[in-house]
Amino acid sequence: MILLESHNVIVHDVLTDRFEKPSRADIQFVDYDNVRFHLSTPDSKTVLLLSMGIQCWPDLVKYGARDHLEKTFEGLLLSQGETEPEYDVSLRIDLEQIPQDPESRNALIDKIAHFKSTAMSAPFISAFEEQASLQANYKDAAGAQQMDVQPQEAKGDLKVVKYREEEAIFIQASHDRVTIIFSTVFKDETDRVYGRVFLQEFVDARKLGSLQNAPQVRYSNREPPLEIRHLPGLKNGEDWGYVTFVLFPRHFANPAQALATINRIQLFRDYLHYHIKCSKAYMHSRMRYRVAEFLKILNRAKPEVAVPQEKKTASGRTFRRQ
Amino acid sequence: MSRQAPLVIDNGTGYTKMGFAGNSEPSFVFPTVIATHQSASSTSSSTGGSGSARAPPPVASKPGHLASKRGIEDLDFFIGDEAVANSKTYSLHYPIRHGQIENWDHMERFWEQCIFKYLRAEPEDHYVLLTEPPLNPPENRENTAEIMFESFNVQGLYIAVQAVLALAASWTSSKVSERTLTGVVIDSGDGVTHTIPVAEGYVIGSSIKAIPIAGRDITYFVQQLLRDRGESGAIPPEDQLKVAEKIKEDYTYVCQDIVKEFKKYDSDPYKYFARFSGEHSVTGRKYDLDIGYERFLAPEIFFNPEIYSSDFLTPLPEVVDNVIQTSPIDVRRGLYKNIVLSGGSTMFKDFGRRLQRDVKAIVDGRIAGSEVKSGGHMKSSGLEVNVISHKRQRYAVWYGGSLMASTPEFYNVSHSRVDYEEYGPSLVRRFSVFGSAT
Amino acid sequence: MPAYHSVFNEDASVRQIGNMAVLPINTKIRGPAPIASDPSEPDIIEESLDLFRANCLFRNFEIKGPADRLMIYLILFISECLTKLSPTAGRPSPSYQEASKQLSTLAVDNFALPGDAGFPLNSLYHPPASRADADALRSYLTQTRSELAQRLCDRLYPPEHQLGADGQPTGQMGPRATKPSKWWMSFQKRRFMGRSLGA
Repeated sequence: MILLESHNVIVHDVLTDRFEKPSRADIQFVDYDNVRFHLSTPDSKTVLLLSMGIQCWPDLVKYGARDHLEKTFEGLLLSQGETEPEYDVSLRIDLEQIPQDPESRNALIDKIAHFKSTAMSAPFISAFEEQASLQANYKDAAGAQQMDVQPQEAKGDLKVVKYREEEAIFIQASHDRVTIIFSTVFKDETDRVYGRVFLQEFVDARKLGSLQNAPQVRYSNREPPLEIRHLPGLKNGEDWGYVTFVLFPRHFANPAQALATINRIQLFRDYLHYHIKCSKAYMHSRMRYRVAEFLKILNRAKPEVAVPQEKKTASGRTFRRQ
Repeated sequence: MSRQAPLVIDNGTGYTKMGFAGNSEPSFVFPTVIATHQSASSTSSSTGGSGSARAPPPVASKPGHLASKRGIEDLDFFIGDEAVANSKTYSLHYPIRHGQIENWDHMERFWEQCIFKYLRAEPEDHYVLLTEPPLNPPENRENTAEIMFESFNVQGLYIAVQAVLALAASWTSSKVSERTLTGVVIDSGDGVTHTIPVAEGYVIGSSIKAIPIAGRDITYFVQQLLRDRGESGAIPPEDQLKVAEKIKEDYTYVCQDIVKEFKKYDSDPYKYFARFSGEHSVTGRKYDLDIGYERFLAPEIFFNPEIYSSDFLTPLPEVVDNVIQTSPIDVRRGLYKNIVLSGGSTMFKDFGRRLQRDVKAIVDGRIAGSEVKSGGHMKSSGLEVNVISHKRQRYAVWYGGSLMASTPEFYNVSHSRVDYEEYGPSLVRRFSVFGSAT
Repeated sequence: MPAYHSVFNEDASVRQIGNMAVLPINTKIRGPAPIASDPSEPDIIEESLDLFRANCLFRNFEIKGPADRLMIYLILFISECLTKLSPTAGRPSPSYQEASKQLSTLAVDNFALPGDAGFPLNSLYHPPASRADADALRSYLTQTRSELAQRLCDRLYPPEHQLGADGQPTGQMGPRATKPSKWWMSFQKRRFMGRSLGA
């Protein structure tokens, strides 16, 4: 597994099961980035309630998450007042009203399994839209004031999504691109080293011919990148890292592509940490292998224990030479 | 910030059960198996720990970018059901044998996917509860701790003994009046059955007995009975084991007396004989067969192993009695009082009742015997024998873990990341029991 | 719970030949056997038939008395009967009449007594003390075997339940089955104590 999947497996599994055969449920589980889920059947077996609590919900709402969810989960999303206490959004799925044919069923399951990623995609989508309008205006502006003083760069609002305790995603649209900056913290000394190597890889990999079209990636350690340097309260220390992605319109040209991009990029931080962990596991394998090899060599060096030969006396008794 | 639910992962020889604390059932149950792309011959046969005949992990061959230096073979693997589904192109490995982790490379990668692909949790945000078999060597605990803290950076770790968790799980039973961590756990999974005495949260290692009869044997026995009766002609060969398993799971029960049970079937065949309908897994052809005496004979092999095996002959109730009799005398009464069932192969209907009756018969026989020997001078006040069955029996160990990890006390007894950095892996040698005080 | 024992072990008044009990049986077949005092009580033949399916699952059996020896003998004989009736290539299982005839023949056929070379359990059975005893035992066993064969046939070919239109039994009994019951025949391969009379 190289990429993390964008849907939630538990939601997917439980729904697949319950769609076949409704039964009671009361399950609490999580997803990446401090997302809590609660799947329950509060009233009857046939009505499932799926609630989600996201740490950065206030940020997401600012960027239109609620509207976006409403659009995607039409008829399922509960209004603010009906949302389960302690959670941010709830879906109600009535098992008696789900489509019958397996294909649309699976599509529905899949859609609900992407509950979290749909919510998280709101700021990205709004940034993409913003970029489109900026681009249109920019062209107009450029056309109107031809040969004028150098065109001023048009920039959208800087969107900040504090998706984890201390880490945030910064999204900024401008007329020809969308810049996405991740801040991430490495809790462990070793992780920081791995992380740096790993992120440098991203930068280097772009030099390969086949990856020319990939988004541009920049990595900075300690120092926040220029785009966000003006923000107050930014941490800069040894264990802080900033990754900048520059998305060009071609990365989100059509909705399908945009969705794929969003699904990948919103899990970037987890993807990074997942791979750091996998790399460590890989290193551990190598270490174990090495140790086993060295042990073999050491064992070869072991002096042979001379087995004292038993000797028999003439009378047939044995004695051991001291 | 509110704390996130701890992860509860019970890695068994056959199946891994995992989920989040506070739930009543694990979210995932799948075989503890990993499918890797390495050639099978080099890895599978190694019986001992980090194998000597193992192929080395791929290494850098040419300079350049890391991605081109080495492949990504170490990420190319599947676990659980997906591993089984891919067994044609990948080779399967079982990292746990006899309850203990044997291949740490595979286990580490198995956990990778457990956490990232299935539970979708960032381990840095969570405490983790893992389980271990009784008599797990401390080195294994250390290895586990090393992986959890150093590879996964977990916030905290608690390694619990499976039997103790099973005892805790039995607190849900209405029969349990006091929450004690003293009792005998009968843990029967697919491969082996263990009888484990636990006194106040500590396993009495010297008295543990393993019984080489468990779920798989029952399936085989069902299969054998079907074959003897000539039913297997109707079943396609590749489905034989599956059918036997299905019959075991859906139709069997424990009877109180074989001869009486035979008579019941004679006098009212329509009530007892059943009919099984199956479908060929490949061609979809339908087939039917009769189910008869295997309904009660199959689980009978726990109580009369003789009818199945020729080298293991001690009935389960006798083993239980032996285990208790070899435990320290001051805990025996508590052990008889709290015999707890755990694992899928103890789920047969009336299993608990029969066990209780048979153990009681042995105990009463012995008491009567010593009363006679004392010449009528001694009178025993009797001994309470209780076998506890409950609803969460199938995943009792996991459920016990889920219970314990959802108490606030869990965070006090777990080993935290800070402690680990202070003391190192030897930290987990210290073993703290909890739950006993409540 | 080990294998099942005969309830007649306790009866000390029973005559023994060798160390096998000569228990009374209910039968209309002529012979030297004592006639059971109460025909409604199950005799050793009934008991052997009842215990057959349970006991032949066991490989070990601790003999607790002379009646157990008789029971073992009868259980082994049941096994032999089942083997006789089991279908082989080109020869399907016989019908009730046919089976009854075959088993009656088998019952009176020449057979080994304890002490004879062909007897499988010589280590556990004492040979009859005298020639007269041997003859008495032979005729007792012949009689018992014949009675057993008859009753076994009745069990192997039970009258079939008549099914109503809904597939449920109506309570009426139909004619006897045409094939021996597979619920019995499946025990043919099992060998009680790992022995058989045949070989």
